[in-house]
Amino acid sequence: MSDQYRVPDDLVYTREHEWAKTLEGVERIGITDYAAKTLNDVVYVSLPSIGQHLEQLASFGTVESIKAVSELYSPLSGIVSKVNTELGNHPELVNKSPYEEGWIIEIKPSKIEEERKKLLDSKQYREFLSSLGK
Amino acid sequence: MVEFAGYDMPVWYTGIMEEHLAVRNHAGIFDVSHMGRIAVKGSEAGRFTDALVPTRSSSQPIGKSFYTLLLNANGGIIDDLIIIKRAEDDYLFVVNAANRAKDADHMARLSAQYEVVLDDMTDRTTMIAIQGPEAFQALQGLTVQNLSEIKRYNHVMSKVGASMATITRTGYTGEDGFEIILYDSGIENNSIALSVWNELANRAKPCGLGSRDSLRVEAGLPLYGSDIDDTTNPIEADLAWVVSKEKTGYVGSDAIAGHLGTQPQKLRRGIILEDKIPRHGFNVSNEVGEKIGQVTSGTFSPILKKGIALAYVNAPYAQVGQAVRIVIRDAPVAGKIVKPPFYDEKAYGLKRTATAPAPATP
Repeated sequence: MSDQYRVPDDLVYTREHEWAKTLEGVERIGITDYAAKTLNDVVYVSLPSIGQHLEQLASFGTVESIKAVSELYSPLSGIVSKVNTELGNHPELVNKSPYEEGWIIEIKPSKIEEERKKLLDSKQYREFLSSLGK
Repeated sequence: MVEFAGYDMPVWYTGIMEEHLAVRNHAGIFDVSHMGRIAVKGSEAGRFTDALVPTRSSSQPIGKSFYTLLLNANGGIIDDLIIIKRAEDDYLFVVNAANRAKDADHMARLSAQYEVVLDDMTDRTTMIAIQGPEAFQALQGLTVQNLSEIKRYNHVMSKVGASMATITRTGYTGEDGFEIILYDSGIENNSIALSVWNELANRAKPCGLGSRDSLRVEAGLPLYGSDIDDTTNPIEADLAWVVSKEKTGYVGSDAIAGHLGTQPQKLRRGIILEDKIPRHGFNVSNEVGEKIGQVTSGTFSPILKKGIALAYVNAPYAQVGQAVRIVIRDAPVAGKIVKPPFYDEKAYGLKRTATAPAPATP
């Protein structure tokens, strides 16, 4: 069943269905293909402000569909360096392209080495989806 | 799929947005077989229904389908429903799935004093709603009944597919359309119903619970359990039009007379927000931050592309155009009071002036 969702190999994942990708000095964060498909039509994304400090696995915003509100949890601690302002007018990018154009924020991580251990790699996340019966 | 009043039902088939827009712009179909269908039959069926609801019932013509309420002695709402008057001695109640047992108990208790029998037909029948400006075309191919002869809030008995059916021009989306009750196909023998559904699905978009909810909120229609319940009365729920002013002697009539004679403390209204999406339970506040009401239904409106809410607000704030705020995660968001429906009625809904293509004659 988990084959129906994209789980790229170069990302790390939370059990709350966020991903993080290492770029130059920053971590880009978004929600997984599974989360986007489960939420269905994303119509609103509430974003943190630049400079805001995030704690690992603490809520930093919400992503909403017509019917449901879902919390966003940061895979890593750090300071918000960039937010995807395109999502203001085009929240549907989260559905169309959850790992590319639908990214949500970028942070400067503060404790990445120790915190990474708490995250899943693509193989573990795929297994986690299977364990959910997805 | 989600469990809803004991039924497994899809929240969406292909997507809430897509299904919502299909109903506003073309046509959608909903399997509403979960709704309770309880027939009241007997020589005193008219008198019995008169004693149950605040709306004129026995004096309605045969062929009428009307929206009304079951009330408790305090004037609180036990359920909202459609009554389909099939004959002078035969009224079909279409009730909320979650209230089916409660309604049946309430009706059974009162029925002892009348020459009536109650017949719960839910499980042996099927109900499908066909809604939207092209609902006519979607359904017309499946019946010899000329659908243009059925007026709003009226019904006929005819054949749909291979089944005898009541075709009623009613719905829960704000759009024109029909609801059909198939008498020859239910849970045990569903093959006729499935073939009708499949035929309709070739002509209109199958829609799930998600768009059913966003469509009814956009139309300003209350949902039992969210917007109305045993503690709300019809006047504060903005359903006073259901109450016949001359009528007496129905369950709750004394309490309703009292409610009609006093100003309601709070009123059900619509609120459009400038940003974000309101949800059930959020507080409504005034400009100095005092709580003045509560959201009972909230969603994103696919037509307005804005957050919309149904809410109870204190009477002084219930005027159309009144600026209010809805508190979302501790932050007040600006909005204003409107009288639903939320969409422009010239462009959407059953009063739209842009006319749909003429229905094909059978």
